[in-house]
Amino acid sequence: MANKASGKSKSRRSTAQAMAAKQRSISVSEFFAKNRHLLGFDNPRKALLTTVKEAVDNSLDACEEAGIAPEIWVNITQTEPDRYQVSIQDNGPGILKKQIPLIFGKLLYGSKFHRLRMSRGQQGIGISAAGMYGMLTTGKPVKIVSKLSIRKPAHYYELQIDTKTNNPQILNNRGDGLDIPAGEKGRAIMEKKKIEWEAFYPVPEVEPSTSDDEHAEGETETREAPAPVEVRSGTRVTLEIEAKYQRGRGSVDEYLEMTAIANPHVTLHYTDPEGTLHTYARSTDQLPPEAKEIKPHPYGVELGRLVTMLKELKEGTITQFLTSSFSRVSPAVARRICETAEVSTRSSVKKISRDEADKIYKAIQQTKIKAPSTDCIAPIGEELLLKGLHQVVPGEFYVAATRPPSVYRGNPFQIECALAYGGQNAAQKVSIELLERLIEETDARTLRQFLMNTFDGLGSDSAEKIMKAGEFGSRQSPSKLKQAEIERLHDSMKNVNVSDGQAMQVLRYANRVPLQFKMRDCAITQTVMKMNWRSYGLSQSRSNLPSGPVRVMVHVASVWVPFTSESKEAIAHYDEIQKEIRLGLQTVGRKLGMFLRRRQQVKKEGERRNVFVRYLGEVAQAVSDLNGCDKEEIYNHLTRVAKRVTKEADTKLDDRGNKVSPEDYGDNVLIINDDPEGELTEQLDKTTPQKKLF
Amino acid sequence: MAKKKAKKPTPAQQARKAKLTAKDKKTLNALVGMADGVFKQASRGRAPYLEVPSRSLSNVKYSPTKKIIEMGSSKNKRELFNLSQARTYMQTLLVGRGCKELIEQGKTTSIRGLYYLLKHTIDGTREETFNDQGDCDPVIEDVEVTLNALREELHVYASNRGAMVGNIQLIDSGDEIDCSRMGSGGYAIPSIVEEEVMQFVKCDADFILHVEKDTVWRRFNEDKFWKEHNCILTHGNGQPPRGVRRLLSRMHNELGLPIYCLLDNDPWGYYIYSVIKQGSINLAYESRRMAIPGAKFIGLRSRDYELCELNPSVTIKLSDNDIKRANQIAKYPWFEKKKRWQAEIKKMLTNGFKLEVEALISKDISYVTQEYVPERLAQGNFLD
Repeated sequence: MANKASGKSKSRRSTAQAMAAKQRSISVSEFFAKNRHLLGFDNPRKALLTTVKEAVDNSLDACEEAGIAPEIWVNITQTEPDRYQVSIQDNGPGILKKQIPLIFGKLLYGSKFHRLRMSRGQQGIGISAAGMYGMLTTGKPVKIVSKLSIRKPAHYYELQIDTKTNNPQILNNRGDGLDIPAGEKGRAIMEKKKIEWEAFYPVPEVEPSTSDDEHAEGETETREAPAPVEVRSGTRVTLEIEAKYQRGRGSVDEYLEMTAIANPHVTLHYTDPEGTLHTYARSTDQLPPEAKEIKPHPYGVELGRLVTMLKELKEGTITQFLTSSFSRVSPAVARRICETAEVSTRSSVKKISRDEADKIYKAIQQTKIKAPSTDCIAPIGEELLLKGLHQVVPGEFYVAATRPPSVYRGNPFQIECALAYGGQNAAQKVSIELLERLIEETDARTLRQFLMNTFDGLGSDSAEKIMKAGEFGSRQSPSKLKQAEIERLHDSMKNVNVSDGQAMQVLRYANRVPLQFKMRDCAITQTVMKMNWRSYGLSQSRSNLPSGPVRVMVHVASVWVPFTSESKEAIAHYDEIQKEIRLGLQTVGRKLGMFLRRRQQVKKEGERRNVFVRYLGEVAQAVSDLNGCDKEEIYNHLTRVAKRVTKEADTKLDDRGNKVSPEDYGDNVLIINDDPEGELTEQLDKTTPQKKLF
Repeated sequence: MAKKKAKKPTPAQQARKAKLTAKDKKTLNALVGMADGVFKQASRGRAPYLEVPSRSLSNVKYSPTKKIIEMGSSKNKRELFNLSQARTYMQTLLVGRGCKELIEQGKTTSIRGLYYLLKHTIDGTREETFNDQGDCDPVIEDVEVTLNALREELHVYASNRGAMVGNIQLIDSGDEIDCSRMGSGGYAIPSIVEEEVMQFVKCDADFILHVEKDTVWRRFNEDKFWKEHNCILTHGNGQPPRGVRRLLSRMHNELGLPIYCLLDNDPWGYYIYSVIKQGSINLAYESRRMAIPGAKFIGLRSRDYELCELNPSVTIKLSDNDIKRANQIAKYPWFEKKKRWQAEIKKMLTNGFKLEVEALISKDISYVTQEYVPERLAQGNFLD
């Protein structure tokens, strides 16, 4: 560049030598310090979420890997305006002392990058990036407490990242960290040094569902009051970061709620900045089956990676390389690859040239290789999906479907879909106190924007309706509302029917981790929008999210989830994945359609019966006037006939001519309060002739 | 409302006991029979229904020997426990009840009066028994056919429409009326013209000229056409109501007067002629009493445009609807075999326009009374 530009001018601005002096390698840490948006730290609000999210994801991975039913504590407290202290503790296996600095103080250090296994975290950037972000914005170190077992001492570290070298620096105890003895003594030390640690599980009001309590030694109190169970092991990370706490869409609250839905085996204790404790109790003790690690499938490997893998292997023949490094490559398959690539099956790996590697890569694509084994994926399962959804989301109808595993680019993956229908919108559940606080927190400029941003599933139509009902101006600012106006807003939010204009809410998950941003870019949302939901009884305008009180949850589980970016916010558009999502959605959609049709039918029957009941009084009166018979007698006769006639009509046939009955929904459907028969009879009995006619 | 209804008849019950004629008794029996049927069905646990003779074209037959339209025997079930019929079922019984009240009290009311008598809000709902009169009228006709009772037998009449002048004297409800001394307005033809109400006293007229509309009728009356030609002049304000048709039929049959019709040259005019001559589809059950197979059609004819040398500006272009209707009329069995009628309709369609009687005014204000009609009467040039 510089040379080309200098062609005509003799006085160079710079020389190659001078430039070389400035050229040096960039540390990963430095790069990310300047590009923090790549990791999800674009703004203070998102930084808070990302921090919590990375820590919780790591904790859940660790607990599950160790086979412990996860219990997570999340504490957020405000220290200064715009500064929050975030601590996350788990009851996982803990971290070895010498590993602590590396895991929390070095970017791109982790166990998950080099293996193909279904896990939440992938690259090993997350938590250390959060630490770095904290350091950059507040200058405060990351504090880590880790305990390996009940008798061993806990370790306490205060860490910083050296952004130049991407290496951890231990700050406390002259770079050695602190060891805290177990038991009472240690707890006293922690208290003195103000080290936070949840030493005991909270005593549940119902029967404790946590793991075995044999280690609750020392506490020999009466059986009636259950002794608190000590947390045997775990890790607690505390960071102080520049952040902004705000409820609503894309908030920590939402993330934790969504996590609870997809992880019904997890108990979450969340204390928000106002000091309110939210607890999401686990609905099952059963941990998801352990995900198996698999070798890469040849189809999923790119040329560069193939060359690296060849270089990594020091000895052996090409056949040995192929069969040992990849899954689904038998000696016979390896021979066929070699034949196509015109490489001797016995040539040594060391002697494979770049050209030959290229040929081998092409040969792999031409050879038929069995799809990878898919038992390495641990789906949530239909039953637990229903449980999780029902636990957190209010509704009348729930359905779940787990698709059989499939493969994209050699990576196994599996799709799960669940759907909840009915229930109140968040906008109608909100209390006046919460609304006041939400209005205080919001940075939306107009009231309309505030409503749409804060409440999920509240479309512009509904927001408009609410504002009309409350007689608010279209450009009114939420921050300037007076108390009486807030009350009026609350009233109109309660009274306006928002379920018509309400858009479907899509809950997206990748390996059980909620995805909260870049909704429009995500393959999941795109697939939901492209589906024709009208045939399932929902209204939908072209290529848009359908409307109605519906929440759809889609979970993509894979050994390697293809994200569109490092911040892991949206799933890339692979045809194979989209097809599976579509099939899963169709399964739940069909069942929703059945439910809605049936409800419609019941409603129609109710109206039908209503019509008859309405006219019976008039008819009875007329008949009695005409022939002098007893009005009540003829009315009772007619009512009896009405009941019989409409009952027959109740067992209507569906559009395929089959009798519709609850059993036909098949498995994995949960219906709350579905007793149309009872409702109808009640309705009919309510209209007694005596009261109305005399 | 039902509460009021239940009480209201009680004071009236003492006052009523109007003397019932044999006809009234017969009608009352039919009404009670209808209610008995409902009770019987309901007490046996069956869904009650009424059988209402169908009043559509499919249930109408043209009798070539009698030359009138007669109602067939097909009946429609009207069920209480059928979503689309429940309301009409209730209304049918209400109308029955209303008629019973009228008969027992010896009073008559207009169809509009009956509508108000029966209109109220259904208990416990915001629904009205009848939304408007259009809701009520067909039900009254249904009750007529169901009970095989005429409207006047149910003590209901339609609003007056149509007028008459001419050399005839009659008694209407005891008052003697001389139709040659009715001024410019004429004698308003009542809705019920049965013998009990109206008797003919004296008639010197030679024929009846029936015109379509009031405006044309006034022209004839002003020009004293009826005096000059010694006839009776009537109009029915478009489609003639039952009273007018019944009166025409009685005068034709009892007084032996021929009837000539002067109607517009359009499908609507053709149909009016058809109703006078053969009876209407909707009221086919009344044809026996009302149809006048001997009625003749003077005009306007399609060829009159050329014959009378009319100005093109008085023509009205046929609408799509007119063309459809004309083709329909041409296919009616009572028109189908009449070559002259077929030619007439075809001529109108080839003309592509229709003509109103008033179009003749463009020649001269009194052209129609002084030339057009007298000429055709003298020539005996009619369509049959």
